[in-house]
Amino acid sequence: MIDRQRVGAVMRKDWRELARNKQAVAPLIIIPMLFAVIIPTAIAILGDNSVLSSSINGLQGFLNNLPDGVIPAGFSPAQTVFYAVIVYFMAPFFLIIPVMVASITASSSFVGEKERRTIEGLLYTPITDRELVLAKILVSVVPSVLLSWVSFLVYTVLVNALGAPLMGGHFFPTWTWAIIIVVMVPLVAFLATCLIVAISGRSSTMQDAQGSTVLIILPVVALVIGQATGFLLFDISVAILASAILLVVDLSIFKIIVGHFQRERISTRL
Amino acid sequence: MNSNETAIPDHRRSTLESISPVARTPAPRVRTLGTSLAALVGNRGARERGDRPDDVARDPTGEADPIAVSEPEPAVVAAGLTKLFGSREVVSDLSFHVSTGRAFGLLGRNGAGKTTTVRLLTGLLTPTCGAVTLFGETLSRSNADALRARIGVQTDTSLYESLSVRDNLRFWGELYGLASPVIERRIGEVLDVLGLSDRVDSLVGELSKGMRQKLSVGRAVLHEPDVLFLDEPTAGLDPEASADLIDYLKEMIRTLHTTVIICTHQLQGLESLCDDIGILNNGHLVEVGEVGDLLHRRWPERRYLLTVSGDLSIAKTIVASILGESVEIAATDGNLHFSMANSASIAPVVTALVRNEIQIQAVIPQQRTIQDLYFATIDDGNGS
Repeated sequence: MIDRQRVGAVMRKDWRELARNKQAVAPLIIIPMLFAVIIPTAIAILGDNSVLSSSINGLQGFLNNLPDGVIPAGFSPAQTVFYAVIVYFMAPFFLIIPVMVASITASSSFVGEKERRTIEGLLYTPITDRELVLAKILVSVVPSVLLSWVSFLVYTVLVNALGAPLMGGHFFPTWTWAIIIVVMVPLVAFLATCLIVAISGRSSTMQDAQGSTVLIILPVVALVIGQATGFLLFDISVAILASAILLVVDLSIFKIIVGHFQRERISTRL
Repeated sequence: MNSNETAIPDHRRSTLESISPVARTPAPRVRTLGTSLAALVGNRGARERGDRPDDVARDPTGEADPIAVSEPEPAVVAAGLTKLFGSREVVSDLSFHVSTGRAFGLLGRNGAGKTTTVRLLTGLLTPTCGAVTLFGETLSRSNADALRARIGVQTDTSLYESLSVRDNLRFWGELYGLASPVIERRIGEVLDVLGLSDRVDSLVGELSKGMRQKLSVGRAVLHEPDVLFLDEPTAGLDPEASADLIDYLKEMIRTLHTTVIICTHQLQGLESLCDDIGILNNGHLVEVGEVGDLLHRRWPERRYLLTVSGDLSIAKTIVASILGESVEIAATDGNLHFSMANSASIAPVVTALVRNEIQIQAVIPQQRTIQDLYFATIDDGNGS
């Protein structure tokens, strides 16, 4: 049985510590800003400018390989580029936000406590393994998801505002985006955090843990490449299938991590 | 006295018998502790302590009348504890128990196995062989978390430096399931006792080492644990703060019957706190038992220092005539040093000296200490 007070106590404590760490907070603002504000603004302002498509890596290839039927009929070339980029090209980037936010917050979870030698005190308390692992995961998942959702809201308002003159009204979000943001973002954030917590529990320094978390970003990068090449376009069916797989993987990984959590291993590696 | 009663320990009684103030345990300095501790104890009524025998009485100063007490139940029992890391045996076949409301000193050099023992006793490590019993329950993975709720552990570090003193303590209170008003009350009480009330909103990273040390103890006692593990609690403290902390612990033991297990290198004055000790050497428990018993077993004879004025050689002859020629008497700088098994013989010695017009400036029983015992035991281990 999970004691909510203890889980909440660890989460509040970690967030207080995180809020006082400017080095960690800065990227948490910059990364969502990049995907939610800077890139869509650049696309909206520059439209189908060739300089833009050549400066965003993979964008030209994505436009060239766009399958038939994914763009509503009757769009002008400028509308097609804008719609394709905002609706399809940017979708996987919004999965990078929770992964990157989680990589910053979660890698300081166990390994951060180990580095500062605070973990031993925690292990002497009545908090259970399950509560501790869950708390450390939620500490990262909650801000990852919230930041992704806030980024999505900003993105929605921005692209509709900037794109309205070109698109002739509101065109965003689509159902695919709704599934990505509401379902996939929490699942991806949970998975990434679980893996990072698992890695950070075995790392001895925060740098080790952060280095290892790069490996977790790779599958999401693969999605971006798949999207960019048109190989795996994020439509509703892909999003639902990916969500179902993620849910199963998340639950399995959490169970494995809790099962393998050992106070003995952590305390003897301090 | 019936069969299940024991008299006050010898090492405490011996303080009462001291003739010289030099050998006395100083009266507790309750400058900051007095009223705060009274409040602490008074507020404790809300929490049930039915598991503790009410008739357990201690007097940490040793200045009260001897009181017959019942033998309390063991709070902690280690039975044949062995821990291997790979092929390396860190602790070997440790067996001891600590009764409720007593203070146990676990002594040993760096690497002797003290930290591993504490981790075994608190369920952080699983013993390779043997078992731990806490409060009558055998410690296992399934009950370790629940049993840890009744334990407080102070380690050398482990405070959150980027958080305030209040946040550190509040976090700990929440982990131990204390209600918010209780946490706030306890924070006030603990900080008051430890003299940190004015630093409640300071970041821990801004505190001196001594203040952090006190705070780490404060955090460990916040939830009023039944068993308190302390790892070098006085390290980094100035003598005054160190004495205050020891007084606080003694008061806690006396009033709340807390069981204390203290790992330390600072052996001076430890006898005023510890009832029992265990000495670890290379993972082996080479001595364990009540302090008075251990000291008496190793040094059955009591050593005295007599400071006299007059002819020292005559004084030496007089003492030898009473104690016998076999007793070794050292005479230097107006002092006579000698040992004798029966402390009742000191009166005839003093009488004889006075009759022979040897002026006696002082009669000082030379009490052996835990520090003496520790070094003697470690030397034995090195010699064997």
